[in-house]
Amino acid sequence: MKTILHIIKKEFQQFKRDPKMFGIILLAPVIQLIFLGYAVNMDIEHVTAVVFDQDHSQTSREYINKFSSSNYFEIVDYVDNYDDIQSHLENGSATLGIVIPNEFEKNIGRNRTTPLQIIFDGSDGNKASISAGYVMSITNKFARNILMDYRNKTGQKISPVGSIEAEVRAWYNPELKTRVFMVPAIVGLLLSVITLILTSLAIVKEKEIGTLEQIIVSPIKPLQLILGKLIPFAILGFVVVGIILTAMTFIFGIYTRGSFTFLFFSAFLYTLSTLGFGILVSTLSRTQQQAMMLAIFVVLMPMIFLSGFAFPIENMPQFIQWLTYVVPLRYFMTIIRGVILKGVGFSELWLELLALFSMGMAVLTRDSSYF
Amino acid sequence: MMNSITINNLTKRFGNFTSVDSISFDVKEGEIFGFLGANGAGKTTTIKMLCGILSPTEGDALVAGFSIKKEPNKVKLNIGYMSQRFSLYNDLTVEENINFFGGIYGLNGSRLLERKQWVLKIANLNGKENLLTASLPGGIKQRLALGTAVIHRPKIVFLDEPTSGVDPISRRNFWDLIHNLSSDGITVFVTTHYLEEAEFCNNIILINAGKLIAEGSSKELKTNYLKNDLYEIECSNVVDALEILEVQNFVEETSIFGNNIHISVNRNFSSTQQIESVLLSNKDIKISRVNKIVPTLEDVFIHLLERDKK
Amino acid sequence: MISRLRAIAKKELKQLIRDTRMLFVIFSFPVLLLVIFGYAVNFDVQNIQLGVYDQERSDISREFINSLTSSSYFKVTKTISNYEDIKQTLDKKDAQVVLVLPKDFSHNFFSAKEPAIIQFLIDGVDGNSASIIQNYVNSAVYTFNLKYQKQIVARYGKSLQIPIDLQPIFWFNPDLETTKFLIPGLIALILIVSAVITVALTLVREKEKGTIEQINVSSITTIELLLGKSLPYLIVALINASLILLAGYVMFGVVVKGNYLLLFMSTLIFLFACTSMGILASVISDSQQVAFTIATFVSLLPSVILSGFIFPIDSMPIAVQILTNITPAKFFIVVLRAIILRGAGLEAFWTQLLYLILFSSILLGLATIINKKKTEFNR
Repeated sequence: MKTILHIIKKEFQQFKRDPKMFGIILLAPVIQLIFLGYAVNMDIEHVTAVVFDQDHSQTSREYINKFSSSNYFEIVDYVDNYDDIQSHLENGSATLGIVIPNEFEKNIGRNRTTPLQIIFDGSDGNKASISAGYVMSITNKFARNILMDYRNKTGQKISPVGSIEAEVRAWYNPELKTRVFMVPAIVGLLLSVITLILTSLAIVKEKEIGTLEQIIVSPIKPLQLILGKLIPFAILGFVVVGIILTAMTFIFGIYTRGSFTFLFFSAFLYTLSTLGFGILVSTLSRTQQQAMMLAIFVVLMPMIFLSGFAFPIENMPQFIQWLTYVVPLRYFMTIIRGVILKGVGFSELWLELLALFSMGMAVLTRDSSYF
Repeated sequence: MMNSITINNLTKRFGNFTSVDSISFDVKEGEIFGFLGANGAGKTTTIKMLCGILSPTEGDALVAGFSIKKEPNKVKLNIGYMSQRFSLYNDLTVEENINFFGGIYGLNGSRLLERKQWVLKIANLNGKENLLTASLPGGIKQRLALGTAVIHRPKIVFLDEPTSGVDPISRRNFWDLIHNLSSDGITVFVTTHYLEEAEFCNNIILINAGKLIAEGSSKELKTNYLKNDLYEIECSNVVDALEILEVQNFVEETSIFGNNIHISVNRNFSSTQQIESVLLSNKDIKISRVNKIVPTLEDVFIHLLERDKK
Repeated sequence: MISRLRAIAKKELKQLIRDTRMLFVIFSFPVLLLVIFGYAVNFDVQNIQLGVYDQERSDISREFINSLTSSSYFKVTKTISNYEDIKQTLDKKDAQVVLVLPKDFSHNFFSAKEPAIIQFLIDGVDGNSASIIQNYVNSAVYTFNLKYQKQIVARYGKSLQIPIDLQPIFWFNPDLETTKFLIPGLIALILIVSAVITVALTLVREKEKGTIEQINVSSITTIELLLGKSLPYLIVALINASLILLAGYVMFGVVVKGNYLLLFMSTLIFLFACTSMGILASVISDSQQVAFTIATFVSLLPSVILSGFIFPIDSMPIAVQILTNITPAKFFIVVLRAIILRGAGLEAFWTQLLYLILFSSILLGLATIINKKKTEFNR
């Protein structure tokens, strides 16, 4: 135990010696959080639309007005043929074209069904399907008003027989802001990158100046060495988590609903595995170049794509879902989003905790066999 | 006298490559033992095995009485190690470095204090405990590194090329320090490529391509391994002269030393006139001097390595 | 100039070809990455996990649930029997949306007084998936209503007239698969990361070995040297790009709708920009360690987050939108999507290409200046 303390003490003396580096470690994540936090937004707003109005009637204008007065759409052009719609969509200057047919008003007035074409640029499937949803709800509301007007005029009573009205409510995030979902994930991502890079750099540095060898020839036990190197960085990781969580609350107004203690405890278990992987990468590779390639392709990229950070794991094919089980960030993403946004705790997340704990132990055992 | 290290058929293979090939030798307590060989001959691998940080493929060694195979941790308690890189933390102060290395060897309290004073004394750093290690000159850093390597008073200290890249005066001072350690009863196991340093060692072994090819004191090596007489020739047009000498039946081996030629001669040799007459057959060669010399370690090693090649 | 450039490039190419293992890694890794991550990147919401709390269990309530599950969009993963269970279900992620059908569901459904009100409670944490689920829910309810009302009206011998028949048409990608849209971004990402890192590391390694000094004292100018050394990697990256496109076609059915020559030219311009980034990174740094850290931070994270690959640039605040210009991937993604997905011509993206060229020239200029300053400083 005393031996571990000596290593921890030395590590902190080295931090103290390089206050600039220390400042960067503490400040950089906040700056990154601010930029990335503002960037990670998938909310679909300001959908650009062009209008091809063949009817030029009062009703068609009313219909178009519904679009321009909503927050979601921005009408960028009025055209008078299909070719212009096509070139707008091809150049990406508009996402959709609204085509209002001849006799739009006439048909509606006679209580006849009138077709209405909306042409979407489908290349961004996500944007297209969400804007199609907006279009649908505007159009349905418009149609219902017409029907009510007609029935009022003709003196028919409203007959909602066989009609369901759905009350759709989103829990945890009622306005469906994607930023609320992504910012906690950025916190997780930044924590991983920092701990991973710092440990592997620290080990590589000791390897290069030869002090690692000097320690290995002493009667120190591998586990003592690893813990001694790990604990200072885990503490640093804690401080970083604290700082970016505070920044998250003040800058983005996202409050942590669950328990901080639980969050920090899970962060600790998680850093065990990232630090462990950091050591693994630095020991596994013979050359620095290999270490770097390993770090980027085998550790960093899977963290981004296979952790559920941006792409929901449920949507992936089964064999890719299996792959995600070996990415520790996957579990921590679930935990950090759960605790911050849903306010859940141990009883819902114990399985994820267990996974993190066993991965951390496994990789640390592997590390200690190296020394 | 007791043996401090006993090595038995020690072998290390990496895949198909045999780095250390079944070597055996003994090191006596308190002696300065020189471990010599070219780069890549297997010196560092052997030292790593003796320090217990690399396990041998075959064979074993007793270091301070403990098997490196079965009790590497007890071995580690009894040895010190210093590599050619003088591995200290540059961003820590002198005292912080001493405290750290003392700490991982379990020193504390008055014992640590006493040893710290000793390290500071031998490194000439009294009163400079708070200097950053990075700011120390090479020679001082080297002494500090040696001090921290033996801070726990080990029975044996391994020095892997401790003087490479240090100026001659510092080197001389450093060897004085090694002699002091030795007279305190610490066994010093040292590798070096400076052959004049090898002369300071009580005993020497030479390895080549993982195999032991010679052992003994510097005197023994010179007499036991080099049976032939050695002559030094100073002349002009050295290259032509060498060509002529190489084919003579009285010449065993030739080599160039600086501007001179060294030849070892066999029984067909009668007198120095023999040399002069064959060389003077070429008009371009002017001889300034031919005389018999006492061989240096360098002569011995060149001879041994040449022989090993054949 | 050209002949000297060729001499260096030739030497570098020879060294590269000799290292067959490295070549194998260089060519196989990007394809492997595309395949694995290509399957991972999609926002297609299918098989939405539905929790059902049916308080009535009537024929009509069952019929409504069936109408949801008969589409491929919903599957029932949890049957709920009390209100507390709803929270549990959403907390534990046992379902993404919970449907609550009240006790008086069928009574209200068949009465003429008021519509039957039901509840859908969506896990809104993932706002994007939640919006899509919301759309599906709304359209499922709309379709169910329409079908039922038509039936009822038909019993009285009439036909129901709805005022507007909305006909959405999706061009370029009728099935609204998101993978096809994301793959160009993934291609750009893989290309930029491998190009920037290999170039930066190769150049710095030369610096570490000191051979660069040797060449510096010869008559070759720095920029000739750097370009000459990078050229073979540009070729490698081009081959890589073709392999990745081929893999995209084979594995994910991404067909190039536009002109191949345009695609080739644009890729070349993009890779040149990446190479310039690598060169700049290598000039700034003195060790592979530093070069790598810089190369990663300028290529990886911005290309993921700021390039428009995942997060639409329009949705970012202006300050961040300006910042997005630091990654060439942003421009290349626009070009790739235009050529591959929409088959658009040069008029749709010439400004992007112009920017990429400008970007490369600025970076190369900077690299030359910094390099000059550094060598002067060393003397």
